Amino acid sequence: MTGVKETRHKMKVKKVFSDYVIIVSMVVIMTVVFVATLYPFLNSLAISFNNADDTILGGITIFPRIPTIANYRQIFTNPTIWMAYGITFARTIIGAAAGLVITGALAFGLSRKNLEGRKFYTFFCLIPMYFGGGLIPTYFLIMNLGLYDTFWVYIIPNLVNIWNMILMRSYFQSVPDALEESARIDGANYLTIFFKIYWPVSTPIIATIALYFGVFHWNDWFMPNIYISNPNLKPMTSVLLNIIAEASFAERMAAAGAGAFVGEASHGKETNARSITMATMITSILPIVIIYPFLQRFFLKGIMIGSIKG
Amino acid sequence: MGVMIKVTNPNAASTTRKQPNFFQRAIEQWDLQLLVIPGILLLFVFSYIPIYGLVMAFQEYRIGDFPGQSEWVGFKQFIALFQDQNLPLVLRNTLAISGLKLTIGFVCPIIFAVFLNEMSNQTLKKGIQTISYLPHFISWTVCAMLLFDFLSTDGGAVNEMLMGAGLISQPIGFFSRSDLFWGLALVSDIWKELGWNSIIFISAMAGVDAEMYEAADIDGATRAQKMWHITIKAIKPTIVLLFIMNVGGILNQNFDQIMMLTKQMGNPLLKETANVIDTYIFQVGISMGRASFGTAAGLVKSLINFVLLIAANTIADKAGENALF
Repeated sequence: MTGVKETRHKMKVKKVFSDYVIIVSMVVIMTVVFVATLYPFLNSLAISFNNADDTILGGITIFPRIPTIANYRQIFTNPTIWMAYGITFARTIIGAAAGLVITGALAFGLSRKNLEGRKFYTFFCLIPMYFGGGLIPTYFLIMNLGLYDTFWVYIIPNLVNIWNMILMRSYFQSVPDALEESARIDGANYLTIFFKIYWPVSTPIIATIALYFGVFHWNDWFMPNIYISNPNLKPMTSVLLNIIAEASFAERMAAAGAGAFVGEASHGKETNARSITMATMITSILPIVIIYPFLQRFFLKGIMIGSIKG
Repeated sequence: MGVMIKVTNPNAASTTRKQPNFFQRAIEQWDLQLLVIPGILLLFVFSYIPIYGLVMAFQEYRIGDFPGQSEWVGFKQFIALFQDQNLPLVLRNTLAISGLKLTIGFVCPIIFAVFLNEMSNQTLKKGIQTISYLPHFISWTVCAMLLFDFLSTDGGAVNEMLMGAGLISQPIGFFSRSDLFWGLALVSDIWKELGWNSIIFISAMAGVDAEMYEAADIDGATRAQKMWHITIKAIKPTIVLLFIMNVGGILNQNFDQIMMLTKQMGNPLLKETANVIDTYIFQVGISMGRASFGTAAGLVKSLINFVLLIAANTIADKAGENALF
């Protein structure tokens, strides 16, 4: 790293003009990125914890002025939210776990040079990356498979992800062959080898791909939108979409806190559409935001491996 | 002194037994095949069967038909596609937004990565990096909500700031003016993906041999020269590779983003500049029920994408850079 080297070899090189330009640019760029990225979230967080009437006055930046948990109380006493959150959690956990197993098994198999039909299988897996039937034929397929309006429509079509498969395959290829060889000598079959031997040593890629699958399921709004009509199967993303499309949805949630549906813009209240919106939004991103920094070292490594192996 | 006698076992299998064919070999490694089969089957069902559905592009689908069983109309849908009055507009929008993202949008993560690499304080560097990909993990739905709030004409932070600084007298209606949409799409995309897209460059830079920097120091190179000749040179293959892949996807406008920013195309004021190929196909194919037309459009798009990918790859290959294949 440049920084470490510069401190060790303290060669007093005179700073040229271009050096200053670089330093200044660096500071500016980093500050801009830092502020531009963080501020919207901190601002939303502040508004969600702030008394709505006070927010209307304006001037809230990253701290609430009149703190209140009324917005969150409002959200978590709403059964729709609980239902939606449950669906989101369920599909994320099941979808990521199942996806990991299916895609991982496929990736592992393809990484074994002695797989019969390997060339064919590999080719078979790569084509859909460039060529697909498109939305409309897929839509009909889902309908005809009876997956429409079921929870499984979230899971089954998404079990295999080719991009994730390629990343996992690269990883498995980088594991020393000796592991497989010694297990084979011991008489283990490939199912044992994959699940009991390779799986435990593949934590980096598993964490990475679990994150990728997880984020996909957590954030997906499209499938619920076109394949689900049963409101009990709608995830948090649909709730958010409702809030966007229907300003009154958030308004109703806010007014419900007053015990009666007023229908007018709620003045003199602790919650209003905007603060409820912010609170709902924060609730929907919180788990991901908390988890991803911890998985950082895994996906950083995973991307590196994936890019080196091409 | 013994004489080595080569004993050939007349019962040796290799010369007389017939080579096992594919299926026999496959069944022998049933355990390995079993790992692979579920994935392959699923791919077949969800990625290949819909390809059959592409025949709908050559038919006239009517509601209630079973896909693939409608009346054959040859290239009628394709002709209709090329004569469609909306097509030039949609195409223009797609290329404009893609063009912006491919130029400005492509360069920003590189600049960020290069300057991040120049940071000496490792804690700060790690911290900023972590924060930088926070927006990547939130959905476009949430991102749109943030933008709606920030750019709102009624107390939104951006308008308040601009008015407070005296730069404008009226709040700007960011979502009611179609001329601002392309810029909006570009900036929001950069905001969201800058950190994530820079990862691949940062890891490429991490692979640079530290000795190169030392040698450059000895030669008296300035920081700028080191940046250019070592750091950026090291990531050149990555840049080219990524660029090729992006060019291949030039017609794939970010469906999620456009849908969310336009409230699922519910905002008529933005339609003129926001409608891209993917949203157009969606509208026409699903909302308007012209499934065959939509399929035909999707097919044409796939083909063009494919051609572009091959073209970009060939160019890179000829230019001596690392190619995709």
